[in-house]
Amino acid sequence: MSRILRIELRRSAALWAGLILLLAGVVMCYVGPQRWSSGWMALAMIEREYLMLMAPLALAAGAWQSRRESRAGLSELLESTPRPRLQRVLPVLGALGLAVIGGYLAVLAVTAPWIAGTARYLPAAAFAVVTVGALTVAAAAWLGVAVGRLWPSIAAGPVLACAGIGWLMGFPAAIRGQQWLGMLFSPMYGMSRFSDYETVSGRLTAAQTVWLVALVVAVYILHGVEGRRARLAASLPLVLGVAVAITVVPHDRSVAHAIDPVARELVCTTDAPKVCVARVHSALLPEVTPQARQALALLARLPQPPAEAYEDTTTTWGSGVPELGPDPAGVALMTITVDDRGHLAFPNDLVPRIVGRVLANVGRCPGGLDSSVLRAATYWLVGTEPPDEPRVDDDRRNDHVRQLWQGLLKLPEARALARVAAVREGALRCADLEGMLSDT
Amino acid sequence: MHMVRAAETAPTAYPWIVHADGLQVKAGTHLAVDGLDLALGTGVHALLGPNGAGKTTLMRALATVVRPAGGTLTVLGAPVHGRAELRRVRRALGYLPQHFGFYPRFTVREFVEYVAWLKEMPRSEVPAAVQRAIDRVGLTAKADTRMKTLSGGMLRRAGIAQAIVNDPELLLLDEPTVGLDPEQRLDFRELLRDLGVDSCVLVSTHLVEDVVAACTDVVLLNEGRLVHRGATASLIAEGGSSDAGDSPAERGYSALLRRHRAEAGR
Repeated sequence: MSRILRIELRRSAALWAGLILLLAGVVMCYVGPQRWSSGWMALAMIEREYLMLMAPLALAAGAWQSRRESRAGLSELLESTPRPRLQRVLPVLGALGLAVIGGYLAVLAVTAPWIAGTARYLPAAAFAVVTVGALTVAAAAWLGVAVGRLWPSIAAGPVLACAGIGWLMGFPAAIRGQQWLGMLFSPMYGMSRFSDYETVSGRLTAAQTVWLVALVVAVYILHGVEGRRARLAASLPLVLGVAVAITVVPHDRSVAHAIDPVARELVCTTDAPKVCVARVHSALLPEVTPQARQALALLARLPQPPAEAYEDTTTTWGSGVPELGPDPAGVALMTITVDDRGHLAFPNDLVPRIVGRVLANVGRCPGGLDSSVLRAATYWLVGTEPPDEPRVDDDRRNDHVRQLWQGLLKLPEARALARVAAVREGALRCADLEGMLSDT
Repeated sequence: MHMVRAAETAPTAYPWIVHADGLQVKAGTHLAVDGLDLALGTGVHALLGPNGAGKTTLMRALATVVRPAGGTLTVLGAPVHGRAELRRVRRALGYLPQHFGFYPRFTVREFVEYVAWLKEMPRSEVPAAVQRAIDRVGLTAKADTRMKTLSGGMLRRAGIAQAIVNDPELLLLDEPTVGLDPEQRLDFRELLRDLGVDSCVLVSTHLVEDVVAACTDVVLLNEGRLVHRGATASLIAEGGSSDAGDSPAERGYSALLRRHRAEAGR
């Protein structure tokens, strides 16, 4: 068997199938590395999303492989040999399965070095997410072989690939109201991430594993039987697996964008002033700490300054979204974003962002606050000229910010500081900040 | 060297390797073999007959690919319609179908090894048996060449190699000499004589000279029925100088068929 498996690995379409999957996965991953650069779970989930192409490719490869049997005309000889049909198909199915699983895993081997220096937190769930992905491509390849056997046409591969894409993307869209159902049967669906703390629900993974294994078993049995009734009987494991999977999976919104509390836990510096980031960003703590401490030092000139800086780990999507409220007293909160190499994104921007957030008391005032005033005050504290606001084309607004900032510069330091403190005080009360920085 | 297995020296419990009694086999809806009585032991048996005589259909029935529609057929002591012993029978079969299919990307060695695996040969015996089969058909130099690059004659020899890899007790060769050049046919006759020493070889062919040179006896079919059965010499004896043909055996073949058709037409 192992010798025959080796022959099939060399001579069947298996290795090509694995290589094509690898290529497709790697290209898609490197088109947008910032989608997965923040950690291992992110990588596992984003590769799952790229099943949208890899699973249809595996289906087509299976159908292509199946053409060998119909074209070779070997059935006459095969039927005279003693080895049972189920054993007979094992080497070619095994080779194909191993190759596509290998291709799927090799994508990780190519992408992992990219983030190996910055990704620390490796939850067990990440392995489960990868396992479901690998199982999906193997099941797809086997299904392709089975369909190709029943429909030996050159069109089978492309048609199956299109049907696969249609299923993976169309099915969840068609049953929009039942998100859990879409996620269950489209293993790529719901893998787009809204925060770095996301995970995949264990019950969803278990349910997907059940129906995918059932599909693999059904497809395998299908190879050993002839006739319509036997084929119907072969689909019995699949029906059973689907039923169990539907029972196991949670039927509510919690299944989508689940948060991993351990990934969100804060990891802090041991020395003061304390700076904390979420566990999933723990490798960034040395990059964040000096910036955060610089911001704390700048803020220390204000009355009742924050003494510590924490990563803001509230999430605005998925389960357990907290109500928006003022930041906790005594703590400066910061949002940590990761760049496409896994490092802190916009590192030069972190200090003004921390300072600006403390001044603005984010999220508390329903009507919003005068952002020009806040920006001028922030950059006066930071001690640099306010750069043009990103995504703001309005030159007058940028000029206005700079005028306000220059106005503060012209003042004696104590007076300017008092005005900035008054802005913070006003923001806490949701007062109208306009005019608080200019001489009137 | 060929190792002698215990199974080969064990006494057989059946008098004939192939035994058909009133055998009927369908090709599609047509009864291509109709009431055939036949018993074959060791030796090389030629299966002769015009196109449509039922030679290939008989071969397929003996290869256990099609089930008989009537009568009884016992191969290696086991009835072919019983599932129980079919696996044992198939392990001892060698079969070169008329249309020999193969995987073009496999090398000769890989393909023969694959068939050895299909025939459930003991794993430890496979590499040596594969080499021996390839050597016996004279493909040693092409053993590691892809099947798709082989010429027609080489493919036919690769087909014979896969059929003999398991040292079958019953070897069925459906038109094995198609595509062989004269020299290769001489080698093939030599191989046939060698194989017929301890197994039952049934060779379907249109080439009567091959029969004379390599076969111990002749089975002549026409329209699904047995026309003649006897030693190769008996075929030659049947022919007269007035019968069509360029050799005594060909004249015997024509004479037997002409006489059979005349009787059937009466």
